[in-house]
Amino acid sequence: MQQLLEGLRVLELSNNVAGPFTGKLLAEYGADVVKIEPLEGDSARHQGPYKDDIPNVETSLLFLHLNTNKKSITLNFESENAVDITKKFIDKTDIVIESFAPGQMENWGLSYEALAKDHEDLIMASITPFGQSGPWKDYKASEIVLQALGGPLHANGSAFREPIKSGGNIAQYHTGIATAFACIAARLRIIRGGRGDHIDQSIYEAQAGFRDRRTSFTTGTSYTGYVAKRQPPGARPASGPRMTTDGYANIFASGSRRFPAALDLIGRPDLKDHPDAKKQPHLFSQEFASELEGSWMAWLINRDKKTAIAETQEIGLLGGAIYTTKDLIEDEHYRSREVWDTIDHPVAGSAAYTGRQILLSETSRKKPLRAPLLGEHNNEIYAEIGFTKKDIDEMKKNGII
Amino acid sequence: MTTENFLPLDGYRVAEITVVWAGPHVTQLLGEWGAEVIRVEPTTTIQPYTRGAERIINTADQENTAKLGILAGGINPETTPGLDPWNRNSSFNSHARNKKSMSCDIMTPEGREAFLRLIEKVDVLVENNVPMTIERAKITYEQLKEINPKLIMLRMPAFGLSGPYKNYRAFGTHVEGMIGHHWLRGYPDGTPDETGDAFTADALAGVMGAFAVTSALVHREITGEGQQIEMPLAESFLPALGEWILDYTMNNRVADPQGNLHREHAPHSIYPTKGEDSWIAIDCTNDEEFNSLCITLNAHDLLNDERFKSLAKRKLYEQELNDALARYTQEWDNDQLFHLLQSVSVCAGSVHNEKQLLESPQLRARDFFEELEIEGVGTHTYPGIMTKWENTPNQIRSSPPKLGEHNEEIYIELLEYTEKQYTDLVNKGLVGTDYSEEVVPRTWE
Repeated sequence: MQQLLEGLRVLELSNNVAGPFTGKLLAEYGADVVKIEPLEGDSARHQGPYKDDIPNVETSLLFLHLNTNKKSITLNFESENAVDITKKFIDKTDIVIESFAPGQMENWGLSYEALAKDHEDLIMASITPFGQSGPWKDYKASEIVLQALGGPLHANGSAFREPIKSGGNIAQYHTGIATAFACIAARLRIIRGGRGDHIDQSIYEAQAGFRDRRTSFTTGTSYTGYVAKRQPPGARPASGPRMTTDGYANIFASGSRRFPAALDLIGRPDLKDHPDAKKQPHLFSQEFASELEGSWMAWLINRDKKTAIAETQEIGLLGGAIYTTKDLIEDEHYRSREVWDTIDHPVAGSAAYTGRQILLSETSRKKPLRAPLLGEHNNEIYAEIGFTKKDIDEMKKNGII
Repeated sequence: MTTENFLPLDGYRVAEITVVWAGPHVTQLLGEWGAEVIRVEPTTTIQPYTRGAERIINTADQENTAKLGILAGGINPETTPGLDPWNRNSSFNSHARNKKSMSCDIMTPEGREAFLRLIEKVDVLVENNVPMTIERAKITYEQLKEINPKLIMLRMPAFGLSGPYKNYRAFGTHVEGMIGHHWLRGYPDGTPDETGDAFTADALAGVMGAFAVTSALVHREITGEGQQIEMPLAESFLPALGEWILDYTMNNRVADPQGNLHREHAPHSIYPTKGEDSWIAIDCTNDEEFNSLCITLNAHDLLNDERFKSLAKRKLYEQELNDALARYTQEWDNDQLFHLLQSVSVCAGSVHNEKQLLESPQLRARDFFEELEIEGVGTHTYPGIMTKWENTPNQIRSSPPKLGEHNEEIYIELLEYTEKQYTDLVNKGLVGTDYSEEVVPRTWE
């Protein structure tokens, strides 16, 4: 059965996280993605951790993860031939993903206007920290800075401490998905008779449109003038992360419809008749709150986190255990759903990767392919656009590829 | 479609039975890019955590809640419930633009009939309920494709349509626990109860769902095939943690809570600045940036400190470095320092709350925010569309729908009910524009 994006040709001129994640998504669901790397490789190849902590352009975990199912070729953009070569690729490309600083592609003669001149169906997505225009367009940014300015970072963490960022490269991953959506929507429009377009994706704007509280909070502020604040730990009695015998479980008991059932479960049915039992947790009286919290903690501390979740799910409470990566990978649920792909790599060896996000009823998944070695597909791909073996050797010798 | 400037999803019709945040975010994005989105929502029962109808509180309590900075459940304009607080909820109104509302309770025979008629007329159905709900309502993909073989149905439960946690109920914040994100984003020297709630899973699943549906539409345009897309919240998030997962499967290393630390950069943290709850993010990757930072802060003692002479040393003495830097940054206004540091090419940015975000000169210059006047709600600023297409201007086309606002249009024009059939449903209390007092007691008045 045909893959969702089969036949789509993508050129990835992008490094680090956001653009490569866009490319990874398109590749995962069937597009043919060719990644053009500078001679030293994608910057993600130079970031730790590496397999066995030994720096090697082929074993950066970030790179190995972000570039499955792609092909890699190299090209020196500062070389004279780079513009002509890129234009040759454009003849065979539906979507270009790039993440250079605003104006850089233009300086090379590779602006959207230049590339789309003879290809009105071209889609180009440009991913930058702040977008192609505006007073901050040339500002420097990184994950923590983008989360600080654009995301809900100020509301993450404890009221008594400094705010903390979300894990890893969340803002960039989110932007990668948003860009993939835009690219495929643009493709759909072409299929339906429209023209190509230049997608200007700012990571900052993706954060400002982030459904991790950001849009909801901003609308709340716009409605009331108040801003969201970090809450004190344990501010909601019998709700939120609490200790169990083997770690933490985060269960939503008070403030939910099933709160009375939760009181039965922990052996405190008497509290159901208290006038506070129907209130929102932050409006509980001190006396009710401490009575409830004591019984709740006593119940939890006698159970391991998975049992606490299983028993509370049984009565319909929302909740989840707080897993480490070890807990996650060993968990039977994810294993039974085959979420882990075992992928072999000539330098990094064999390991379990996270891959698909979706399962399709009518389309079976293709076998995932490992990330490419740097320039692994030079011969194959340059030959496809008309270079002979001799030309390719020549370009290698001259430091072009 | 021949006109040049149509939106990519113009002409597609999407139905949704979605609750809370992630599902409604998928349809928000599909609606923004042109789809006609119809919310199927009962007036005979409350859809949980969607219009805020399960916990409407009076003005004084809303005021107290807002002062504490608790906004996640949504709040009413001027902290006043009014007569129809479910049409005035900030959380609902932040995603429901460009949508229509049809009141319909799929658990009743009449509601089921209307829903099945609707399924014949849509391209896409999006739902994010616990799987047992959809099974109980007998509206699985297997059942619906009999009625509409070209249907694309996105199902996004928390954990999947199979496996031991199939019917586990979870918000984004609980899903984040179950995939390791809650642990990862904690304070390195703290405990998970200090971390607070995050709904990052809803944000990622929203865009991922929109991508998946659109990809399935591309596929359907070419092959004619419909499809069920199963996208558990948990699994849609996992690839965003890919390198941490590989660190366990390749290096056998369990990720510790990271807080504001970076594996290689130092300084890399959130530093206090002048004023209450005021902070700045600073991230230096090399000596040049660190030197510029110290010169700007007038922190010459740090420049000359042996412990901070190289990136490796700064990483080694990170705690001392961060404490020392904080003593300097706390003398500054964060926005002033942010622009000054950027002018000397140091990567930095203020920690902005919602009020500051709304004032951002960058977002204003790019016309990110939009003003909407909504009847009964007033005129307010809303976050706009997160992606710009150079040749396809786009903005919010219509206000969030009031409960059942489009009942007549949908039942009579689209589903071809007669006036009498429609009026019967209204008289039976199955179709309406209000929750009855039995469903939502007016306790806030």
